Amino acid sequence: MGRINDVGGMQGFGRLVREADEPAFHADWEAHVFALNRALIGRGVYNLDEFRDAIERIPPREYLASSYYELWFRAITTLLAEKGVLTEEEMAGG
Amino acid sequence: MDELFGPGDQVRTSRVDPPHHTRLPRYARGAPGTVIECEGRHPLPDLRARRLRAEPEPVYAVRFAARDLFGEGDHTVTLDLWQSYLQPAAAREPR
Repeated sequence: MGRINDVGGMQGFGRLVREADEPAFHADWEAHVFALNRALIGRGVYNLDEFRDAIERIPPREYLASSYYELWFRAITTLLAEKGVLTEEEMAGG
Repeated sequence: MDELFGPGDQVRTSRVDPPHHTRLPRYARGAPGTVIECEGRHPLPDLRARRLRAEPEPVYAVRFAARDLFGEGDHTVTLDLWQSYLQPAAAREPR
């Protein structure tokens, strides 16, 4: 089952755009997502391979329309719901 | 798991398209390559992603001719691949 992330060698996505002096994060929430993931893996809530798997399971239409850290956030919330750490309702409520 | 391969060995990657996470990219499935070196031992991500028991196994740097992967190109592509993804190149029916 080839997943939507596995596009190595595929063409037609357009040119890569390189940003001059690209910052590590483009918004504060991205840094929060990065830190949250490190903390959850560090605490053993899930491991790095489960995290990668959760990114790869994102439906193709959503995967291709999402930014890098949007994919991370979606994977984190998926794993937290699957593992019973948070319910969908709790996450929706902020 | 014992090291099955050493530098210079000819190998072929698995053709299996697994229904779960894997670190063998689609473009390198069923391809002939050459082992550069063993890079240490790590648990198989395919198992770890499913929280299955995974003993550390050899991971190799394997070099491929771009032509064998993409049908053209004079360069080479080197991938870090777990031993479970590899068979000796002589194996007649790669899986």
